[in-house]
Amino acid sequence: MNRIALLGQPNSGKSTVFNALTGSRQHVGNWPGKTVEKKDGSYTWKGEKYTLTDLPGSYSLSGTSDEEIITEGFIRSGEADLVCVLVDASQLERSMYMLADFAALDHPAVLLLNMMDVAASQGKTIDAELLSRNLGIPVLPFTAADSKGYDALKDLFAKELSDPHKLKSVPSAAGSGHSAEEIKDRGKAKYEWISGVLENVTGKGSERFVLTKRDRILLSPGWGKLLCIGIVLLGFLAAMVIMLPFMGIGSMIPGLVREPIADFLNGLGVHQWLVSIFSLMLPNVLYFSISMAAFVLGVNIVFGYLEEVGFLARAAYQFDGVLSKLGLQGKAVAPMLMGFGCTIGGASGTRVMDNWGQKMLAIAIVWSIPCGAIWSVIPVISGMFFSAWGTMLVCACILLYAAVMMWIVSKVFGKSLSPQENRSGMIMELPPYHKAHWGHIIKEALYKAWNIFARALRTVTLISLIFWALSYSSGGNIENSLLYKIGTAIEPFTRIFGLGWQTFLAFLSSAFAKEAVLGVLNAAFVGQSSLLEVTFNAKTAAVDTSALAAAMSAVISKPEALAFIFACTFNVPCVMALFTTYKESHSFKWTARVALFYIGCALILSCIVYHVTALFL
Amino acid sequence: MKLSELKGDTCARIRSLGSDRRFVSRITSIGMSEGAEFQVVRNDRNMPVLIYVRETLLALNRNDCERIETEVIS
Repeated sequence: MNRIALLGQPNSGKSTVFNALTGSRQHVGNWPGKTVEKKDGSYTWKGEKYTLTDLPGSYSLSGTSDEEIITEGFIRSGEADLVCVLVDASQLERSMYMLADFAALDHPAVLLLNMMDVAASQGKTIDAELLSRNLGIPVLPFTAADSKGYDALKDLFAKELSDPHKLKSVPSAAGSGHSAEEIKDRGKAKYEWISGVLENVTGKGSERFVLTKRDRILLSPGWGKLLCIGIVLLGFLAAMVIMLPFMGIGSMIPGLVREPIADFLNGLGVHQWLVSIFSLMLPNVLYFSISMAAFVLGVNIVFGYLEEVGFLARAAYQFDGVLSKLGLQGKAVAPMLMGFGCTIGGASGTRVMDNWGQKMLAIAIVWSIPCGAIWSVIPVISGMFFSAWGTMLVCACILLYAAVMMWIVSKVFGKSLSPQENRSGMIMELPPYHKAHWGHIIKEALYKAWNIFARALRTVTLISLIFWALSYSSGGNIENSLLYKIGTAIEPFTRIFGLGWQTFLAFLSSAFAKEAVLGVLNAAFVGQSSLLEVTFNAKTAAVDTSALAAAMSAVISKPEALAFIFACTFNVPCVMALFTTYKESHSFKWTARVALFYIGCALILSCIVYHVTALFL
Repeated sequence: MKLSELKGDTCARIRSLGSDRRFVSRITSIGMSEGAEFQVVRNDRNMPVLIYVRETLLALNRNDCERIETEVIS
């Protein structure tokens, strides 16, 4: 059997090695019954197949967290024939702690001295051969982000699987009790063992540590924060620049292919609804999926870069205090800022979080942040009912409520996603600045974008079909659509929330795409265009806002408008953001749970806004 | 002296990590064990304390630093 497991502390480059070895042949899920990510993959080398498991990152194997318990259990179960332990060569003594814990498990292993490039740039030398003799297992100097070393690694795995080696010495065990004193004694024994095996292996270089100029600014209490925010926003712009060409091409597809397809199908004499699926819906699905994948590509390149050079750890240091109040690590600051631009970007930016619970909680909270599309729609609607000052007040209230909603989400989901006992104060490593390995960053981002594109095509098609079926109307008359029939039938119920059938319809479509809201309102109130048309062509269709304003204000009151504005803004984000959430969390259950919570909250909020403002307006 | 009271650029040795099991286990695994020598890199008000220990730059929560007893070397 050729089963290999990767073990290492966070920042040891484990996932880089995993991704580089397995490429697209990987499966990401959760460990049974646990909210911990499980990554499996495989690769073929010289005609043989090898399977690889990326064990959850933790600093030790002391059994104090789910990650540590899973890792230890997995190694003990013998499900891996060989464990590849990764250490950071630039911080050798400290990162060997995991190896010291692993030693007690008495399992075949190889040691990968990763980040040799960083160690070398700091003038550190390591005698890998001597270390190998001291440990009794092979030791391979390595730079994970450099694709050149992988053949040697695969050869080493193959050799060790047929002729395995175990560590020849183990730290002296100081009992197995769980009192603080015993833990300290064991810790001491492990560091003594590490000093022993590292004797003469590393060149001494224990000079005083001096912060680099860059760090002196980035880590300063005031300016550092501003600079961090600025850099993330610049990163967002960079992601937009990467995405724009793809989006530009994608946006041309619906317009270009619509008529030829429609003409062709009409020529065949097929039914009108088939024509609308193929000429209107599918080209737009393609366009949605391309934009989504392009955005994921941009965000992953930018975040991959910011993470690899070590910036995100600095941002985390700056914002840990604020975000810990929401149960989040400081790292969440980057995806959250990204969320102001696009929830898809925010959700895929949570890739930087350390564990699954943090990731899911961060996504759930990012959903509360009004995205760019909302800011393009809400002021327009608000402007139809209120003065410029009134609209500014509405926007301020939205921002204020966004903060409240984030707090509510963190209270509701924080307990299970980020349990109190795991919320130790920040103990975080600030990795040294690395040079970015662009090839590796781009390859990984392309892989991720392609992956999401392929899956999005299927999922978005399915959801679009449902929406298509609901909004299809023969002859383009909205009153013939199922949505209209359902909307009017349940209007007595939606009235409780201050929503009439028209606004409720637009509320539902805001869960599909926020940009669709204006078009749907137009179809419902002015009634010249078909619902199908406005939803799928949301980003290209122009709406005559003054006509819409006149029609809307004749039918609905100011409190109703306000209720609608809030309901739309805090509804679930668009279908694509939902899908990205599902892809990023691998949990349908949690995506659905958070989505239902948001829909419920939006309706309750709408109800409150309607009834309270009705007292004044 | 508590770690949280040390000024920037001080070198010190850890005397005691306190008695919270979880905390001791976590902080030991990231490089801070009793007897270990370290350097305070930065200690700004209302910010985590930055220290350098075993070739690693660490940010530690202020409240946690109150639990760590140290002795100054230089």
